[in-house]
Amino acid sequence: MAENEKHKLKLIKQGAEAKLYRGDFYERPCIVKERFSKSYRHSALDRSLTAQRIKAEVRALFRCRLQGIIVPTVYFVDLDSSCIYMEDITDSCTVRDYIVQIQKENGDSAISQLKPLATKIGGIVGKMHANSILHGDLTTSNMLLRGSPLDLNIVMIDFGLSYFDSLAEDKGVDLYVLERALLSTHPNTEELFSTMMEAYKQANKKGAAEVISKLEEVRMRGRKRTMVG
Amino acid sequence: MTEHIANQFYADSSITMVLYDELENSKEIRKCVMDGSVEASLLKPILILDKFQVIVAATRAIHNQRHKRMTTKTIHSEILFCLSPSKNISDSYRKFGLGDEDKCMLVVIVDDQDNSKLNAIQALIKGRQLPLSDLQAKADPSAIKTIYKIHDEELEVCPLLDAVVTRISSKETVTL
Repeated sequence: MAENEKHKLKLIKQGAEAKLYRGDFYERPCIVKERFSKSYRHSALDRSLTAQRIKAEVRALFRCRLQGIIVPTVYFVDLDSSCIYMEDITDSCTVRDYIVQIQKENGDSAISQLKPLATKIGGIVGKMHANSILHGDLTTSNMLLRGSPLDLNIVMIDFGLSYFDSLAEDKGVDLYVLERALLSTHPNTEELFSTMMEAYKQANKKGAAEVISKLEEVRMRGRKRTMVG
Repeated sequence: MTEHIANQFYADSSITMVLYDELENSKEIRKCVMDGSVEASLLKPILILDKFQVIVAATRAIHNQRHKRMTTKTIHSEILFCLSPSKNISDSYRKFGLGDEDKCMLVVIVDDQDNSKLNAIQALIKGRQLPLSDLQAKADPSAIKTIYKIHDEELEVCPLLDAVVTRISSKETVTL
């Protein structure tokens, strides 16, 4: 990013691959995702990997958008400083915070209240998989609820690990990550995951059966495949 | 009525926009731009939904210029190219550039610190200046949808401007 730009941005998050800044893009609230270089990689390889990953992320955002899945609007892609400038989803909370809040406030009746949300999420993931988009990091923190949570306007974010693939195996792993993320962050949500899977089957009619049988397999062995022979 | 926008990324760079209607000599103005005697991008307002659409394309174009990676020969033609979803240069000019018979035009000038480029083109123009806020009324959403290949499925979840902007910013990385 250009130097006169950097001081106006506020660092909000630092991950293993990228830094997130909050700022403005011509008066619109924006998020800047900067993939920093890794000094342990050869510089030529580092440049090429970083560029490839930024492009993959932009492509995934674009393909989701074509399917009517809400994602942030991309304002500017700067491959020279490895930054993506995109819409900041203001007036939103993460699905994670929302589930935590509902569970705290409502105890036993929380699950039935959260079912419409689970249905919506299952539908979105099903639609993505039906179009061969794999998110790669389906956690409840990577889903935002824009506006009133009751409107179920879910915005999918962070496509940094996403890829395109039509293999049922990989989709099974994607669902497994979602299941683990859900159950480990939110206790007693098994029923919500089954609700998600029902909606998933509706949205990904063709592939669902095969993906779900792969999911069973992945559950038995964990996310990584056994490499024997 | 003339809008100057400072470039967010380069302190020495700016984007100027002026909207005209009731144009009498579009052919003449176009000729001067083509032979290089005046510098400007002449756009068809019918395909411009909002000034933000132009800002996104111009930011891209200026970035390409500063990094010596322009696809076209001049910064003003680069704006036209960046605005268009097509990777074909002459196709982009045809679609987004002013036509000989057009009565309405959006002038975009880059890096015009002393207004000399603006003054040069304004001396030529026979037409009526409009406030930039009239862009919305001049735009034709259905033509924009066709040109940018935007389908209703997408518009159910986002405004047309967002759909257009994503296409401009993703052009280099996504093949439609």
